[in-house]
Amino acid sequence: MDKWQYLLLLGVCLLVTLPLEFLGEGIYRQPIRLLRALAPVLAVFLVWDAIAIAADVWHYNPRYVSGINVPFMPLEELLFFIVIPICGLLTWNAVTGILARMARMRRRSEQRSGR
Amino acid sequence: MSGLGYTLPAVISVVAVCVLELAALRTGLFRKPAYWISMVIVLGFQVLVDGWLTKLSAPIVMYNEKHTSGIRFPWDIPVEDFLFGWALVTAVLLLWVKQGQRQRPEAGDPGERRW
Repeated sequence: MDKWQYLLLLGVCLLVTLPLEFLGEGIYRQPIRLLRALAPVLAVFLVWDAIAIAADVWHYNPRYVSGINVPFMPLEELLFFIVIPICGLLTWNAVTGILARMARMRRRSEQRSGR
Repeated sequence: MSGLGYTLPAVISVVAVCVLELAALRTGLFRKPAYWISMVIVLGFQVLVDGWLTKLSAPIVMYNEKHTSGIRFPWDIPVEDFLFGWALVTAVLLLWVKQGQRQRPEAGDPGERRW
């Protein structure tokens, strides 16, 4: 069970942030935009990560990773660079969505009170 | 603790993201309260997730202390991780917001432009 720890942690991140999709205009619902925002940054960070692993700046505890490897790194590490930015975008999606809704409500109540 | 392997690239990544925004993308994201609210929320969750990844009692990611400042806070999180995480999430968010502004140049996004 231990070797799934890193994968499970990433899964929990996706699960916890999933409802945020519905508080705004959506992230998953704009897959092309998501891909365009993610891909260039992913490329840079994967190169950084591969260099850091090769130079022994950091490494992964074999006990807690699945053992599935993509070139230069564990699968989990590749997924990390996809999952974490998506969590960040979903947070932004929710915050902007909620603030926009609050502004609409304020405008409506101001109109009603005749201001 | 030469700091070259992790501390230096982490600082450079933050500077690079700032330059990307201020010199090229100019989304105005850093002036939006929604961005800073989102970052505080992301930071809170980063402490939980990263704290789990880096806890010295059972670490998933193991750092070569030669390449870090050696400062770990809170818990056992190398402080460099916060620069790394900020650069990762902010870079993707900048590209995301930039595309929204391209799609709707005059109207802007009611949620994103205002906030």
